[in-house]
Amino acid sequence: MPALPTTPAPPPGADAIRARGLRRTFGDTVAVDGLDLDVPTGAVFGLLGPDGAGKSTLIRMLATVLAPTAGEATVFGHSVVTERDAVTPRIGYMSQRFSMYPDLSVAENMEFFATIRGVGRADRRTRARQLLEGMGLDEFTTRQAQFLSGGMKQKLMLATTLMHRPDLLLLDEPTTGVDPVSRREFWRILAGLHADGRTVLVATPYMDEAERCTHIAFLDGGRIRQHGTPDEIKAKVPGRLLEVTAADPRAAMAVVDGVAGVTSAHLLGDVVRVLWDGAGDPAPTLASALAAAGVRDVGVRPVAPDMETVFAYLADPSTRAADAEPEVAAS
Amino acid sequence: MSGALVRMGAIVRKEFRHLGRDPRMLLAVVITPVIQLLLFAYAISFDVENVPTIVIDLDRTPTSRSYLEKYEASPFFEVVEHGSTLADVDDAFDHNTARVAVVISAGFARTLDGGGQAQVAVLVDGSEPTAAKVAQTYSVALNQLYTQQLTRAWADAQGLDLSSLGMLEPRVRTWYNPERRSSDFLIPGLMVVIIAIVTVQQTAVTLVRERDLGTQEQLEVSPMRRIELMVGKLLPWTLIAFLDVVMITLLGRALFGIPLRGQPVALALGAALFVFASLGMGLLISAIAPSMDTANIIALLIAFLPSFLLSGFAFDLAQVPIVLQWLAYAFPAQYMVTISRAVFLKGAGVADLWPEFAALAAYAAVMLGISSLLYGRRSSR
Repeated sequence: MPALPTTPAPPPGADAIRARGLRRTFGDTVAVDGLDLDVPTGAVFGLLGPDGAGKSTLIRMLATVLAPTAGEATVFGHSVVTERDAVTPRIGYMSQRFSMYPDLSVAENMEFFATIRGVGRADRRTRARQLLEGMGLDEFTTRQAQFLSGGMKQKLMLATTLMHRPDLLLLDEPTTGVDPVSRREFWRILAGLHADGRTVLVATPYMDEAERCTHIAFLDGGRIRQHGTPDEIKAKVPGRLLEVTAADPRAAMAVVDGVAGVTSAHLLGDVVRVLWDGAGDPAPTLASALAAAGVRDVGVRPVAPDMETVFAYLADPSTRAADAEPEVAAS
Repeated sequence: MSGALVRMGAIVRKEFRHLGRDPRMLLAVVITPVIQLLLFAYAISFDVENVPTIVIDLDRTPTSRSYLEKYEASPFFEVVEHGSTLADVDDAFDHNTARVAVVISAGFARTLDGGGQAQVAVLVDGSEPTAAKVAQTYSVALNQLYTQQLTRAWADAQGLDLSSLGMLEPRVRTWYNPERRSSDFLIPGLMVVIIAIVTVQQTAVTLVRERDLGTQEQLEVSPMRRIELMVGKLLPWTLIAFLDVVMITLLGRALFGIPLRGQPVALALGAALFVFASLGMGLLISAIAPSMDTANIIALLIAFLPSFLLSGFAFDLAQVPIVLQWLAYAFPAQYMVTISRAVFLKGAGVADLWPEFAALAAYAAVMLGISSLLYGRRSSR
């Protein structure tokens, strides 16, 4: 049964990020609420959660640009509050909004930020060329940043962030508002960084991106609700997943929800995702229940669980309550 | 240290790139000063000459006529009308045909001949204060001249030699700007207004812009110190302000023959102190303004208006209400206007102007100090 998130005690210094009781308030609003976090070195750590969950606030505190209200956090063993100078050279921080100079060209932006980051002149040139080629931006070096497409802007920010070879990348929703092709390409680049041994902490509202991470944490209301590897997270969802199609999906969902053995039913587009934790073969049971209720054009097929469903299940207050009582979930 | 220099250099280069990419800003800091210079020097004139004058001679004697000839001969008065009654004065003033009226009452010659004090009424239309003040001064001077002539004539008649007694002959002269050309007076002041606009406005906006763009956070995760950012930001605007100073000086000389009588070093020192004081104000605005618009408005209020209205540039500070005079002391512009005019027109040096230099230096130190404290406090954290 889902063990409550506990991380085996790592050897000192093995964690790229370690936060204890980290808290940040803005006036009366609690953005991050006493959060504990361990990100192992070399991980691609996905920070998932809805808007307003506290993802950006957490990342900005780890990037040293926002001071915590309480608690502590270290990056490679150095405090983000008292040892900023030891932290900043090793991190690359990409904020959620585009934060380059719109009137400067791609090359000028990269050169400026690399210069103030202390990258030497010769290194700047070769590295910028490599990175721009690697990201398919080499044709656009003289284009002003304001005239780049959304995906290209994000790649420019990432390339700029990589100029000084940071060991830890803090990426705040780098793929939000980016087209699917660019998103895939962005993740291909992140995979390359992972292969290089870099640590990546990436916030994203897209559940499908969680599959590409080595570790994920689900953040809501300023706290981490779930965390583990994608497989561990998926294992927290008991039972089997089925997809139900019907002429009237809403009616189908209502019927299915009442069948004994169904833990949850969610509408995803025009299919109903059903979680089955009962005994026996769920497909015929559901099909006959739907037929009995007069729902037409019914199709039921088992599917492999994906993150979208897993989080929908885990975020559902009723199932979360069940989750907290092992004997119910296990029955 | 070399790292700091490299980082500051990067900021300076970047600032000049922003300037080069933004035609409006380039226009504001390079072309606008030239336009203002031409506008102020050509179109706005405080020159006083040929003031339309009505004369009313109620005495009608050779003495009164010879007195009035002084007005006819003066370049400052142009006698446009010879009236016969006081009502003609009202008429002329109402129709704006004359701004000064000289009225000689009956008995003028008789009083003078009897050794008494004759009175001449000089009426001035106060609706144009500058001309009025000048006209007043000149008619007083003319009267003195005429009195001296009369005295001499009287002494001659008595067989006295006044010059051997060492009596001085009064001569009316305007020092430093003998022709009283307003361009001589305006351009050194205009220079101050232009420096204030370029430096305060641009500095006020430049740091807020980094916050608005989100680039501030990227600067914060670099090893760059706040002070490096400040210096890197201020240097380009200091250079541009000096470029404007040189440009205005050269154009003023070439187009309007403005003399630079004093040491250029004194002007440069004054300009440097004033630039630092202005940059300090700009930084202060940048540190507290929540947005670009607010920064622009505050800059306008504390840079442009005081340097225009409360510096002695447009209005003589001695003539504004006392509260505004106090307010003027709180802004650096008036000290710089004094320095600029004194160096250009009077040939003054650093030694002559030390109180103004000291005031500007103190102002610059306080402004830069407060703003770096405020800016150094990490507002985003």
